[in-house]
Amino acid sequence: MSANSLPTAPPAAGITIRGLEVVYTTGQGQIPAVNGINLDIVGGQITGIIGESGSGKSTLAMAMMNAVPHPGKIVKGSVIIDGVGNMMTLDKESQRRARGRHVGFVFQAAQNSLNPLTRIGHQVLDLGRSHNVKDLRALLRRAKELLERMGMDADRVLTSYQHELSGGMRQRVGIMFALVLDAQIVILDEPTTALDMLSQASVLEIVRSIQEERGLTIILITHDMGVVADLADRVIVMYGGELAEEGKTEDVLAHPQHPYTRGLIRAIPRISGNLDQAVALAGSPPDLQTFVQNACLFYDRCPERMAQCQNHRPPYEIAGPGRKVACFKVMAK
Amino acid sequence: MKNILIRLAKRIVAGIVMVLVVASFTFFLVRMMPGNPVSAKYNELIMRGMTPVQAMDAVRVMYGFIPHQPLWQQYLHYIGQILHLNLGRSISYEGVPVLHIILNAAPWTIILVTTGLIASFIVGVLAGVIAAVKRSSPVGSAITLSGSIMHGIPQFVMGLFLAYVFTTIWALLPFGAPYNAALTPGFNGPFIMSLIRHAILPVATYALSSYGGWLLTMKSSVISVLGDDFILASEVRGIKASTRLRYIAHNAILPLFTIFALSIGFMFGGSLFIEDIFDYPGLGNLLLHAIDSRDYPLMSGAFLLITVAVIVANIVADFLYSVVDPRIRR
Ligand SMILES: Nc1ncnc2c1ncn2[C@@H]1O[C@H](COP(=O)(O)OP(=O)(O)OP(=O)(O)O)[C@@H](O)[C@H]1O
Ligand code: SF4
Ligand SMILES: [Mg+2]
Repeated sequence: MSANSLPTAPPAAGITIRGLEVVYTTGQGQIPAVNGINLDIVGGQITGIIGESGSGKSTLAMAMMNAVPHPGKIVKGSVIIDGVGNMMTLDKESQRRARGRHVGFVFQAAQNSLNPLTRIGHQVLDLGRSHNVKDLRALLRRAKELLERMGMDADRVLTSYQHELSGGMRQRVGIMFALVLDAQIVILDEPTTALDMLSQASVLEIVRSIQEERGLTIILITHDMGVVADLADRVIVMYGGELAEEGKTEDVLAHPQHPYTRGLIRAIPRISGNLDQAVALAGSPPDLQTFVQNACLFYDRCPERMAQCQNHRPPYEIAGPGRKVACFKVMAK
Repeated sequence: MKNILIRLAKRIVAGIVMVLVVASFTFFLVRMMPGNPVSAKYNELIMRGMTPVQAMDAVRVMYGFIPHQPLWQQYLHYIGQILHLNLGRSISYEGVPVLHIILNAAPWTIILVTTGLIASFIVGVLAGVIAAVKRSSPVGSAITLSGSIMHGIPQFVMGLFLAYVFTTIWALLPFGAPYNAALTPGFNGPFIMSLIRHAILPVATYALSSYGGWLLTMKSSVISVLGDDFILASEVRGIKASTRLRYIAHNAILPLFTIFALSIGFMFGGSLFIEDIFDYPGLGNLLLHAIDSRDYPLMSGAFLLITVAVIVANIVADFLYSVVDPRIRR
């Protein structure tokens, strides 16, 4: 080490989630989209979140920012972001500054995330001014660099209106907005859905390289197991608003323990290799009826259910180093 | 920009065609009227002792076409006169050119309606934004209620009510006539003060009865924009509240622009009751008078002007919209 050694970089910011509950009030009743989740997002790593459609991934992500849209409501719990504090109890202004500045967010509808009446470049400036960025020219340069790295004509994009860009271009612009302020934590909710294979690759490449350069904490929500296998250090599996399983990516993908995780992985041809061998997950996602029962949420669909599973919810417990599972069968082994 | 001009040119051509269609319509309407007012007038003049030639000349000057000519010749003559801005002569104001009468009446209506429109637009739109943002609080509900009530009261009821309260119960303001007839019209203090005092009630009537519409439209527009994804996105990006409000207002006000421009076009019809109640010498009153006295040339002149105003407002609205909304620009 040289004499004038730099101060050691602060440990990357993680997120500690405790007892988080989010409910959507609808005509049919109360949907517990996030139901008492305890989760530690490890700083400086890429965490993948997988799960069926409707399992609550997006809601969990929005709740981490304390920005669940109406008619959703966070009814309980805390989200502590390192270097920011508890998003549930911070004053409004500090919350606002944390969003965007500390936590970058690309949300699922990223294609519609831009003001249709203002040029993209102006919106970058609006973002900078909102976060008191002094050097706005540098900010624009940074935006350009990011856009170019994602394979776009940056000058054209910055002078365009949203309607002049394709769906895939808008999605990448959304990603640029999440990265341009150099947030320590970046949450990406299905960032590649509207993209062709090539753009998908360029987007994932930039996510990976920026993560390496800056030691970011990334949360990546996706349905693509291949993406998870490629990028994620850890994987979280959600089912019916609860966590089913988590662990190191290799462990979870190679040795899934929860019957739901196994079903998910078997349902995806890209991992098991052969389209013929893909087996759709039987049954339908939990409904309001399932939520009020005291059984395992997966009971109706579980090929390995036991008598015990019908009368109790399995607790989410440690099942090995860095590994947690919510299943009686697994725990009984 | 070039595309905008092409668009504009197309709209103007379409507008001219529209004006001619309406003019033709009024021509035939007057001819088809029960008792055919043209030949009625002709006969009347003969009875008064004019020679047929004199009578025909007189009628031609009034209506812009010659009775007893074949219909198509009358029609061509009439259209030709209109293209020269000759709208004929009034019957009830013996012999005064219709255009002259209309141009005298127009400023009263224009000032009355524009002032009322702008005032109600500004207040209504601001109140609409507050009503939308605070829609779950008592303040928001109260504002919305005020809009619904104002919107529900018919214009003439509003006018009579204001007149009753401010001229009868509290005699604060003058009633009837556009200014105090004892003063000499001109650019002098007392006269201008009198003009303003006489305009307050008509303008207030117009403003109050359009306020509710602006408020309710703006409120629903803001609420729909608040549900848009880009507003949620700006929230998760930590955009400042003032900037977000700007985004919301800008997006929400666009649809109102068109309505605003169209209201300007409808101003001549829009103040009919008000001018009648307050005895204001604008176009609304003129039209009522023309109908009352069966002054057909004056009537068709007024209709023509209303048509032109609506068409021009349409074109202006369209043009403005393409300037303020980049999605239309292309
Ligand atoms: N605006 C809303 N109103 C009512 N219910 C909602 C709303 N948004 C989400 N939900 C419900 O909350 C649950 C979780 O939804 P969420 O969008 O978080 O799922 P997801 O895992 O992100 O699904 P996907 O993979 O399809 O994006 C679902 O049951 C959904 O029906
Ligand atoms: S707890 Fe029982 S029902 Fe639930 S997943 Fe495990 S085995 Fe299946
Ligand atoms: Mg989602």
